[in-house]
Amino acid sequence: MSTPRRFAFTFAALLAAVALLLVPPPAARSQAPDVLLNVIAGGAKKLNLFVPDFTVTGAPDPAGLSRSLAEVTGNDLTFSTLFSVVSGQPPLPAGNPDAMQKAWTDAAAAGAHAALHVVVTPRSDRVEGEMRLYDLTSPQLRQIATKKFAVVPSEPRRLAHKIADEVVFQFTGELGDADTKIAFVALRAGAKEIYTMDYDGAAPVPLTANQSINLSPRWSPDARSLAFTSYMRGYPYLYRLFAFERRPVQLLAGFLGINSSPAWSPDGRQVALTLSKDGNPEIYVLTLATGAFRRLTTNPSIDTEPTWSPTGREIAFVSDRSGSAQVYVMDAEGANLRRLTQSGFNTQPRWSPKGDTIVYTSRQGSHDLWAVAPDGSALRRLTTGPGDNESAAWSPSGRHLAFQSNRLRGSKVFTMLPDGSEQQPIANAPADSASPAWSPRLP
Amino acid sequence: MSQRRGTLHLLLPLLALMLLVTGCPKRPATTAASAPAPTASTVAPAPTPPSMQPAPAAPSTPSSPSMAAPATPAPATAAPATPPRPSEFAENANLRDVYFDFDKYDIRPDDAKTLDANAGWLKSNANNLVLIEGHCDERGTNEYNLALGERRAKATMNYLVSQGIQANRITIISYGKERPVCSEKNEACWQKNRRAHFLVKAR
Repeated sequence: MSTPRRFAFTFAALLAAVALLLVPPPAARSQAPDVLLNVIAGGAKKLNLFVPDFTVTGAPDPAGLSRSLAEVTGNDLTFSTLFSVVSGQPPLPAGNPDAMQKAWTDAAAAGAHAALHVVVTPRSDRVEGEMRLYDLTSPQLRQIATKKFAVVPSEPRRLAHKIADEVVFQFTGELGDADTKIAFVALRAGAKEIYTMDYDGAAPVPLTANQSINLSPRWSPDARSLAFTSYMRGYPYLYRLFAFERRPVQLLAGFLGINSSPAWSPDGRQVALTLSKDGNPEIYVLTLATGAFRRLTTNPSIDTEPTWSPTGREIAFVSDRSGSAQVYVMDAEGANLRRLTQSGFNTQPRWSPKGDTIVYTSRQGSHDLWAVAPDGSALRRLTTGPGDNESAAWSPSGRHLAFQSNRLRGSKVFTMLPDGSEQQPIANAPADSASPAWSPRLP
Repeated sequence: MSQRRGTLHLLLPLLALMLLVTGCPKRPATTAASAPAPTASTVAPAPTPPSMQPAPAAPSTPSSPSMAAPATPAPATAAPATPPRPSEFAENANLRDVYFDFDKYDIRPDDAKTLDANAGWLKSNANNLVLIEGHCDERGTNEYNLALGERRAKATMNYLVSQGIQANRITIISYGKERPVCSEKNEACWQKNRRAHFLVKAR
């Protein structure tokens, strides 16, 4: 991972630039792309990023990677909310510095702050891509970053996602969320199967096909496997499947009663889960290396739905010990219990990757998502219908949330920002899908 | 192994007796009855490394129709029987469903009469094992309802045990909100879904 070279100008400078842009730009050069002008006229507090179609070299481009990958990267960068992306322009000719200089100069004149040039080289066993990022606010249109990637030929979209994540990294110091998957539960022919898709809804693939009930997919921190509950053997047992390898499904917990609600510890060595083997649903922690189960709760009520803090030191969970379902927090040894939510019926706590927020589902007639700080402060509502909005999942950066909503027809996976804004269905996500689980960045 | 199982055979009736003494339909006395019993080794869908298996557990539980063995990655034949698969149980018109209040798992007084009748049938048909399914309505989230359905099945089981049904004839399973009998969005429909359902299987 390269060191992030922060973009030349500060946020204040960006604001100044944006303020300038709110004034209609002077008559731009006639060569300036119209679409760029349109975006700039919108005047949001975002970086205007010029992304011409990618330049494909070394091979013909029958698959149309030039346009399609640039679109994927552009959509990723738009989704990041950091950029106003101007795309749909023809690719720059390969190895022609003068043409690039002219394109960048025109884009800068039309208001672009930065430009992304990508050269794609398809080879027999891989697709290579080299990205170069330019600061169009600098007098020399300075190159501020370059990086090379390679992906297998069957997954060219990942090249586009990796480039988008690197662009986000260059501007924020943290990778974007594009090179990720979202697993979900899909209702298929009366069964519930676990699927995975690109975070943007592309390429849905079934991970189970056992025609029973499969629930609660949860990615391991290395993004290679998922824990889930399945009735494939009749009873609700907890399993682990490997998403990208030909490896058999592993049984994690097959006790009498329920074996449900998995939550990986941040280091991937433990799985918190719910077992009712001792008489009623309690939280346990399974240490994978030893197979040992450690019981954390001892209460005659329901205790379920654990979620780890990113430090691994605390676990939030749901209990009805007060008479209604509420979210509690304890340390990872089960001590120092405290109640986090106070009223209503609250389930599905999800601790944010940064540790500062717990999102949960509150039922007040219908279901909506709320957020609260782990100390109980900063309570806020994220969704207000329509329909039921539940089962939140954080993106790896913590800058997005996926959730399920039935506000449209049937259940679908949506995304939003952690303040509840920009709620939207994942465009290409399959219908009748629920319980999203956002993967860590892919290996 | 055989020695240990012999001990368990002695323990089982004792545990069932404890349930009889302590069992209470309103407030399930699960602590006296409960002990862990992994059923892992015969349900593993594929060979798994030992580290992935549930740890060997303490003696059996009354809710198990049979003894459970410490989990090992050995073939299924190496382990004693686990609970029969749910698909081996069949409907029986003599056993009627009982219903629950929203987000509750107490046995209602009127449903206690239904359970008394179910217990009577089970007593006179002692060669039958029974599977109790716990179900929930669509409100609430999947995982919480999985736990709630478990509590409903368990409360139902405890009531039957308190009425003299041997715990080792009973297996429970929670389907949470995953198997509704009614799909409309109204209380009449939700009430039908908040149920404990009975299936039987000849021993």
